[in-house]
Amino acid sequence: MLEPIKENWRILLLVVVVLGSTVALFGPGFGPEPAPGENASEAQQGITNLQYGLDLAGGTRVRAPLSGYTATDVALGGESPEAVADAVAAELDNASTRNVGVVPDESAVEVTDPTVTESQFRAAMDAAGYEYGGIRSGVTQETRDETMNVIQGKINEAGLSGGSVQQVQSITGEYFILVEVPGQGRQEVIDLLEERGTVRIDIAYTDGNGTAVQEGALIQGDFDEIGTATQSDRGPGAYVPVTVRNSDDDGQSPAHAFQDAVAQRGFPDAYETQADQCGYNSETGEIEEVNGDRNPCLLLVVDGEVINSFGMDSGLADDMGTGSWAETGRFRLTTGEFAEAQQISLNLRAGALPADLDISGEGTSSSISASQGENFRTYSLIIGVLSVFAVAGMVFLRYREPRVALPMIVTALAEVYTLLGFAALLGYPLELAVIAGFIAVVGTGVDDLVIIADQVMSEGDVSSRTVFDSRFRQAFWVIGAAAATTIIAMSPLMVLSLGDLSGFAIFTVLGVLIGVLITRPAYGDILRRLLTVR
Amino acid sequence: MVVIEVPEVNYTDYSNRQLAAVPLAFLVLALAIIGGWVVATGAPANMGLEFTGGVELRVAADGGDVEQQVQTAFDREPDSVRTILSDDVDEGRVVVVTFQATENDPEGFASNLQDQADAAGFTTLAVDQVSASFASDTARTALFGVALAFLGMSVLVFALFRTFVPSLAVVASAFSDLVIPIAAMNLLGIEMTLGTIAALLMIIGYSVDSDILLNDSVLRRTGEFYESVSRAMRTGVTMTLTSIAAMVVMAIVASVFGVGLLRDIGIILSIGLCADLMNTYLLNVSLLRWYKFEGVAR
Repeated sequence: MLEPIKENWRILLLVVVVLGSTVALFGPGFGPEPAPGENASEAQQGITNLQYGLDLAGGTRVRAPLSGYTATDVALGGESPEAVADAVAAELDNASTRNVGVVPDESAVEVTDPTVTESQFRAAMDAAGYEYGGIRSGVTQETRDETMNVIQGKINEAGLSGGSVQQVQSITGEYFILVEVPGQGRQEVIDLLEERGTVRIDIAYTDGNGTAVQEGALIQGDFDEIGTATQSDRGPGAYVPVTVRNSDDDGQSPAHAFQDAVAQRGFPDAYETQADQCGYNSETGEIEEVNGDRNPCLLLVVDGEVINSFGMDSGLADDMGTGSWAETGRFRLTTGEFAEAQQISLNLRAGALPADLDISGEGTSSSISASQGENFRTYSLIIGVLSVFAVAGMVFLRYREPRVALPMIVTALAEVYTLLGFAALLGYPLELAVIAGFIAVVGTGVDDLVIIADQVMSEGDVSSRTVFDSRFRQAFWVIGAAAATTIIAMSPLMVLSLGDLSGFAIFTVLGVLIGVLITRPAYGDILRRLLTVR
Repeated sequence: MVVIEVPEVNYTDYSNRQLAAVPLAFLVLALAIIGGWVVATGAPANMGLEFTGGVELRVAADGGDVEQQVQTAFDREPDSVRTILSDDVDEGRVVVVTFQATENDPEGFASNLQDQADAAGFTTLAVDQVSASFASDTARTALFGVALAFLGMSVLVFALFRTFVPSLAVVASAFSDLVIPIAAMNLLGIEMTLGTIAALLMIIGYSVDSDILLNDSVLRRTGEFYESVSRAMRTGVTMTLTSIAAMVVMAIVASVFGVGLLRDIGIILSIGLCADLMNTYLLNVSLLRWYKFEGVAR
């Protein structure tokens, strides 16, 4: 019972691997990670679980450093990061504390305002009296990590499946942020990355005959929970449910402060019935009379622009007046359009990048239209299939013996199939360079099978198993040596940051490994069964 | 029906000098072409956008002389304009417009160009922007990668055979296999890009296979020298011809479809593999024969 299994374990292993690849390629659960709000079948591209890179799906890749300067080995002298940031920011005319970061773990002080030059920063560090080792361009590790998180957040929020962000280091030691978004144009991606949408709530109230505005009654940092944009159930419009933070370590919490401000501006008295409406005119910036009253209004301000103005539900206004609202702090930011609500939710959650991406200066971007990507996908399939046919044709012409040639071609195809399975399993996006790697694998794979076949069949017929095995081992020395050179030649590329080339190198090496460990031994077994007399 | 029979070469008719002369002549010619390129253009090959920096736009227009329209559409004169075939548009014509990076590119250079293209009524299919500093960094990294790959391969070959002349023969023919396609790229106007670098690395992998096979057959197997060579040749030539067939088909099909990267890889590998046939069975054989009959005796 066990004997046949032991005899043919190499072939069985190949069969198992091929079946495993089938599961990875077509089975549910191995597909691309769906973006939030998308189901698994929507994330899938085509009938397989394969993911396609920008070349083959269309999309945009942006690679840029973060602008800023970092002072390294700073003698912080036990001062709190906030105090250091304040002191340095005070010496810079064009940067506020928000643009100065202090990372005690790295003993580093950074400035992230792109208008600050290196010499200005140097002067400010000197003036603030902190000793430092040196100034380099770029920002700290912490800021880079945080930026990556924010970008990932933006990509997820915008519902872009397959989008990725990573840090890469160039050979000169400079760090870059690499963002890849399939299916989006260059400008859309740059807009998504660059928008530093700030959202705040202002209160507009009547001041004599005019209108006054209390700015920043609520700001971005005051929100505790931010819901997703929701279509309003009554009438048009949409809203973002939010919760305002109602606790604070020192002093008044944002929720209490907001509640007091609302009460002070007279909302509870103004909004008593449904007839009380907000009459803010965003063009003139004045509160106009509605039903005989000039009521105070809440203004939703995004990037300094008033997006919407609204009054207040009488129940909510009462709660604010009595002071019970702050216990929950729940609130809705309403807008006229759903898309606007979505944008506000996005801005509130992801917010601004901690440092600017220097896309137009040091950056690199490329973008390919979706239709071109799709065409390339079809073309590369055809090119791959025809190349395999060419190889098959040559092999048939050379051996004229289907017993030798047919298993050769089947084995080479199994190798590519297994590689595709790996690509699906790893979720590695296929690109043109990877396709080239696949074709290279078919080429080297068949080369090695030719070596095996020639070696085994040299010097007459193979009659016994021992003769076969010794010849097969001899052939394998050459194959092993050739595989080792390929792996060595490709390994630097797997780690160097050279974009597409690393995918090519990874799949060539993977293909060689699969070939040497699984498919080529299996071909030997197949050939032995066909050639030796048992 | 055609049968592929690897011909028996009668090596005894030729001296080592005669055998080595042809591949060495090719190598010298290739080095001269590359040297000439350095003198004329300052770079050993036609560097692509990834290595020079700049902006490349792929645009399509509804008709008329697109290339002519492109010349006037931008407020800066493009450095190169070429038309490629593509299925993307009904007219089947896409124009690739390249602007080399300069010292004082304004902010948002790529976006400006895209706006200008849109204003002129083109449909922009793809935009690539590479900054000059990043490009020189990529070039350095790529050169470093190829050098490291070649060095790693050489060290391994020496470790495998542990004899100087046969190992040197492998490394020398691999070097020539790399240099000849680069010279051919210059003559054919193929640009050096990351994709073509990948092709050059593939040549390292492919070419060493047949060299190792030859050395193994001559040095590690029993049998007379010429018999060993012809045995290795039978297998090796089949291998290389199979690969050439795959690459020629890939080059032809890819150029029909306008997939530039795969076409370039196909062309470069076809040339590299032809160079490999020559180098393995002329240069490598002559070095091995010298080693076997004269080198060992000394």
